[in-house]
Amino acid sequence: MEEVVGDEHVRTDDGALVTFSTDATPLERGRPDAVVFPATAEEVAGVLRVANELRVPVVPRGSGTNLSAGTVPHHGGIVLVLTRMNAIKEVSGDELVAVCEPGVRTIELAQAAAEKGLLFPPDPGSQSTATVGGNVAECAGGLRAVKYGVTRDYVLGVQAVLPTGEIIRSGGRLVKDVAGYDLRRLLCGSEGTLAVMTELTLRLVPAPEASGYGMAYFPDLADAARAVSRVLASGVLPVTLEFLDQVCIGAVEDYAQIGLDTSAGALLIFGQDGNPAVIDRDLQRMAAACETEGATQVRIAESPEAASQLLEARRAALPSLSRLEPLTLLEDATVPRSRIAEMVEFIQEVARRHELKIGTFGHAGDGNLHPTAVLDPADESAVRRARAAFDEIFARAIELDGTITGEHGIGIVKLRYLERQLGADHMALLRRIKAAFDPHGILNPGKLGS
Amino acid sequence: MTTVDTAPSHVTAGRGVFTPDLLDRCISCGFCLPVCPTYALTGVETSSPRGRINLMRALETGVLTDDDPTVQEEASFCLGCRACEPVCPAGVQYGVLVEEWRDHLWNGRRRPWKVRPLLWAVDSPRRVRAMGIVRRHAGRRNEAPGPVNLMLGCFERVLYPRVSRVARELGTDLAAPNAQGCCGALHAHNGELRRGEELARELGEALPGTIVATSGGCAAHLAGVLGPERVKEFSQWLHARDGAEPAPERDGAAAGTPTGGGLRIGLQDSCHLRNGMGVWREPRELIATVGEYVELPSAAACCGAAGSYAIVRPKDSARVLDRHLDEIAEADLDVIAVVNAGCYRQLQQGVKRRGLRTRVVHLAELLAGQR
Repeated sequence: MEEVVGDEHVRTDDGALVTFSTDATPLERGRPDAVVFPATAEEVAGVLRVANELRVPVVPRGSGTNLSAGTVPHHGGIVLVLTRMNAIKEVSGDELVAVCEPGVRTIELAQAAAEKGLLFPPDPGSQSTATVGGNVAECAGGLRAVKYGVTRDYVLGVQAVLPTGEIIRSGGRLVKDVAGYDLRRLLCGSEGTLAVMTELTLRLVPAPEASGYGMAYFPDLADAARAVSRVLASGVLPVTLEFLDQVCIGAVEDYAQIGLDTSAGALLIFGQDGNPAVIDRDLQRMAAACETEGATQVRIAESPEAASQLLEARRAALPSLSRLEPLTLLEDATVPRSRIAEMVEFIQEVARRHELKIGTFGHAGDGNLHPTAVLDPADESAVRRARAAFDEIFARAIELDGTITGEHGIGIVKLRYLERQLGADHMALLRRIKAAFDPHGILNPGKLGS
Repeated sequence: MTTVDTAPSHVTAGRGVFTPDLLDRCISCGFCLPVCPTYALTGVETSSPRGRINLMRALETGVLTDDDPTVQEEASFCLGCRACEPVCPAGVQYGVLVEEWRDHLWNGRRRPWKVRPLLWAVDSPRRVRAMGIVRRHAGRRNEAPGPVNLMLGCFERVLYPRVSRVARELGTDLAAPNAQGCCGALHAHNGELRRGEELARELGEALPGTIVATSGGCAAHLAGVLGPERVKEFSQWLHARDGAEPAPERDGAAAGTPTGGGLRIGLQDSCHLRNGMGVWREPRELIATVGEYVELPSAAACCGAAGSYAIVRPKDSARVLDRHLDEIAEADLDVIAVVNAGCYRQLQQGVKRRGLRTRVVHLAELLAGQR
């Protein structure tokens, strides 16, 4: 390894191994044998060739913000950190395209695009830390997905190194390109199990002129869920449609004290971007939809400052929940929009039955929920009850035609639920695909495709 | 399969090096990585707040020992700037953790030898007074404390005695008794947590009432021990007293001309003032009363002074400073204002080394020159 990347870019000291044993997933850890920091696709290929020959596991990693333990090396081996590959090679306003290396932070790419009046829409909560490569590998979502889609909708082309060391390209700068299987889409969301992406060509869109926001309180979650359906049926495709349940409202108010109505059953935050006249019209329509469905209070932010205050309630959801107890389990069960109320009520019932504190917030516009359990990890019974509760929650999500993961990925923590959702034949196909890319199973073993 | 020998994510039964609740706070989200200056230098997680907390957890549970070279190195390499605290969604008190870490590791022989004479010098109020004896700082012998007292600072009174003099010109209601020692920040940051707290309490007794400090680092340490209601940093205090209205024209100045003569002025935040006390708006607004305020991209990031860091790790300190100097040169600032004695020295030396035309002044000097 030292010959491939230079000895200063290989760490094997105990301290470094400890710090690369984890990502942002609670409770999951595994100690690697080495941490390697390549700078080029050729170096990545060199590392993989050696690892493939010696049958050593390789776990690709960006900034380690993964929430499904996808970057935890629980079989040991090499953690391949791609953050040295952090060049933005091109942002083209003519072609609406950006080309960058995988270690660029998502926010840096978004800023580079914004400087040219362009927008890179995927905005996962971790965008200030997370890398573009990691976001593509996980097919990250974000707050704007209902209008703009998710990361996969912006990947035009990839350069990737196969576990056997060959460097391939799929797609490129073209919007239309059907030559061959759509491998770039396959790699997007492959969670570092098929190949290591070393360059990404991404689609950009013109930045919207402005944005505006509003909020509505509902006595009950079911009312808020009906309002979401009514909003989307009213001819509006909002950029933001976020909700907080009563547990979250209470936690946020306790922590941030921003004057939320803690008696409400649900809070809906809606927003639109684009032309100011369209924003006004859409905000009015969304407010009217909320009122029709029984909102007790509806407000439209009159200024950017007011809008920022309003968004604070959503931004503070995770921080305020996470401060209640040392252990925070943040999940992402997702259901069709029409089943949101059913799902959240089920989550609340499960929490009561297992005597757990679970707050649910999330992206109402696309059905992506974040049930978040907070507990004391020293309380072994609570940890067991939380696992049981999430087993039930994932099973219910599947029953409601939903998914066990909307944007966090399978990693280690969801693998045991995957077959229930996909079925045995589908699982077998995943394994055959995995074997075609990675005959010796060295790339992120024990995860997707295993 | 290797699943042993990693620090658990939560420490329930540890060695007692750290306050367990503080270590458990971290949810490992990694939001601290992009704001950490040493992570920016290395790109290696081990040199980031989340990485260091994992090292602390490993130390607490015995997975790593006190002698582990990486544990030793990272405890020292950290600037202790606390830039990770404001961005932390879980409210981890990293500054306290790093003090507990050094308190445990550096007791006795492992303390960096370069800081030992510094700690000795400021350990006794008598020696602190002696240090400033030949310099014309604002302290008056036998002056009684008032309701609001100016803290003289131990290194500031030696290196920059003018700061306390002009602070008193601006704040004529400030008393400045000479009988005061060190605030203890240097001790707390260098592995003598208890002594650091003792010194702060002694200073609190010597200066009853409100204490105003011209160095953000001292203010933050004092506020941590004595409480924020008793301790104000100078810009915070002045801003609360006067607001940030443009200074009245001085005699002879032409009406309508900005008193600053159109100076382009930047600010170097004091890390603990900004990240520990949440004070950053006040100095900016005060600067804007006397000239054109220019926000440098790295204004909020540590300049590398970091208390005794510039002395203990001069090379790393200079690397941290580099981008600040690049930005000062690029903005072609007339003045860069500082609000902490360590930053004063750090920037003065850097600006001189680069041969930049920019003047480094303390905010109090800047304001006094214009009022």
